[in-house]
Amino acid sequence: MNEQLQQFLTGRIWLREHTPFPREVIDAHIDSGHIHLKPGITTYSKSNLFWQSNKRVCNRCHNMKPSLFQTFNCARCNKVCTYCRHCIRMGRVSSCSQLLLWDKQHARGANVHVFAWSGQFTAPQQKASEELLSSVEQNQSHLVHAVCGAGKTELLFPAIFASLQAGKRVCVAAPRTDVILELFPRFQKVFPNTAIHALYGSAPDQHGFAELVLATTHQLYRFEQAFDVVFVDEADAFPYHADETLQKAVTKAAKQNAAIHYVTATPTESLKTTNRSILTRRYHGHDLPVPRFDSLWGYARQLNKGKIPHKLQKWINEKIDSKTPFLIFLPTIEVLENFPGDLPRVHAEHPDRKELVLQLREKKIPGLLTTTILERGVTIENVHVAIVGAEQPIFTSSALIQISGRVGRSAQYPNGDIVFFHHGISREMDKAQDAIEGWNRS
Amino acid sequence: MTCLICGNPYQSMATWTKIFLYELDSSTCIRCLEKFEISQSTIDFTDFLGTPYEGAVDSVYCLYTYNEAMREYLHQYKFLQDVALAKVFARKLQQAFHTKEGIVVPIPMHPEKLVLRTFAQVDELLNAAQISYQQLLIKTKSETQGKKSKKERLKTTNLFETIQTIEATNYILFDDIYTTGATIHHAAKILKDAGAKRVDAITLIKG
Ligand SMILES: [Zn+2]
Ligand SMILES: [Zn+2]
Ligand SMILES: [Zn+2]
Repeated sequence: MNEQLQQFLTGRIWLREHTPFPREVIDAHIDSGHIHLKPGITTYSKSNLFWQSNKRVCNRCHNMKPSLFQTFNCARCNKVCTYCRHCIRMGRVSSCSQLLLWDKQHARGANVHVFAWSGQFTAPQQKASEELLSSVEQNQSHLVHAVCGAGKTELLFPAIFASLQAGKRVCVAAPRTDVILELFPRFQKVFPNTAIHALYGSAPDQHGFAELVLATTHQLYRFEQAFDVVFVDEADAFPYHADETLQKAVTKAAKQNAAIHYVTATPTESLKTTNRSILTRRYHGHDLPVPRFDSLWGYARQLNKGKIPHKLQKWINEKIDSKTPFLIFLPTIEVLENFPGDLPRVHAEHPDRKELVLQLREKKIPGLLTTTILERGVTIENVHVAIVGAEQPIFTSSALIQISGRVGRSAQYPNGDIVFFHHGISREMDKAQDAIEGWNRS
Repeated sequence: MTCLICGNPYQSMATWTKIFLYELDSSTCIRCLEKFEISQSTIDFTDFLGTPYEGAVDSVYCLYTYNEAMREYLHQYKFLQDVALAKVFARKLQQAFHTKEGIVVPIPMHPEKLVLRTFAQVDELLNAAQISYQQLLIKTKSETQGKKSKKERLKTTNLFETIQTIEATNYILFDDIYTTGATIHHAAKILKDAGAKRVDAITLIKG
């Protein structure tokens, strides 16, 4: 048996042509039963008296949406072949592709884990952390409901350390690459002896067997029955919440019966766990800044005409004059791109996103226009925030809570302006404001 | 409709135009289509003056420039093998071929490369645009063009061979990208030498 192959494939479901081992090595392990093969796409025929229909499923990402399959005349298998468009960025899976799964003894880590964290928990953090640890030890699913800026990543450390010491394989998954990039160096510091892989869209190759895997939920398409313990951070974030295949990916990546734990500031109602902890205070103990509502009647028409509404212009000028960094959230990419003036702007497809956020943090630019892409994960000291068109459907209560959560995160500047500019108050705006006021009271 | 490129829902064109113009269904939203840039440049053949390829090609028409959006498109279409994206330019190609008369001949792939890619990217663009064509050429050399200098490309003889008789009529070569022009000139010369009266070329992209 090839140990490197075992380490590579343990817990994975991997496209044969992307496996970095020679053909003969893979063939030998298929023959010896170490590797189990699955076809890329499975087609189920359903027929009754009147019609016959084919239902397809991608065996990697479990996509079943007919519109995301494409059929073509394949020059490799010389048949009419079908491939999955949903997970195509990870290498195309088609009817004639082979997916490899490791079918024998799993690889194991050999490290003696070290816990190098010297931080201090506040009393509520301590309590939540202990509750989570106890759930993890009993393998019961747990939800940590913590307000933005409560210091929720640290809460995971004791539970992760205990699991690693027990010889378990642990995964921390989050919907967004930015979050994984932020977590990776922190985890490397806290668990200096542990083999950690950080997996996201353009991640470099990482070798050997990782006892701790940080991954975007997308990357979990490529795992199957891999983890004893799974934590999902920001479980309500786009696209995880909206994409059923990502939720299935998390379940698929966990070993059978392994409990899945969630951490979020804005849990959706569909999130059901056995246990739960609630953390309503920020780590610095100050109240959350409460959003204020301010009418900006007809802002869409004015922006269309190339004019910044008076109140908004005044708000911008105040921030620039007082050298306060600011973010302005806009409802669509079109509004963002057509926004008058030359304020820098970012959206999901923007290549310089990270660079511009950094420039704002270093005060090289006064402020930034953004879509909801920056609703979570970014921390900018003393930032003030305005939402333009807060009544629009894209700004759900959870998006509004996350955006409000950008303000007042540092102990030095625990306050700051968060304003919802609107053309009529929506229920979601009320819900967000109520939730934040509720946390402050409790 | 769901856009093939960005995956977002969008409004398809009013249906009456489709009925009257027999237009193909659109597949891509306006926002994504607008990112492609129409090519304005005219192709000159001065590089080929005084070579055996002088006069082999009568005209070349390229639809788009090679910009960032096109780079991403080609990456997904060719490298990620997303055959579905052949439909993105179907309408534009159909319009382009309407203006020219002749037998459409796609530039072929080497058979070994075809098996690796699993589909012929040039043929699939034509299929999606419902343009009929004849495969009159086969590729005889498999080494990739990209690694060679312009001079080397021109020197390489017999990149293609004809596999059917060529008539004294008009032909339209079609390729995905026109870079140095060597490929198109090679193919055109083979056709002309075999008796073609006129050889025009259309490519999706001016590289
Ligand atoms: Zn798939
Ligand atoms: Zn095939
Ligand atoms: Zn689009």
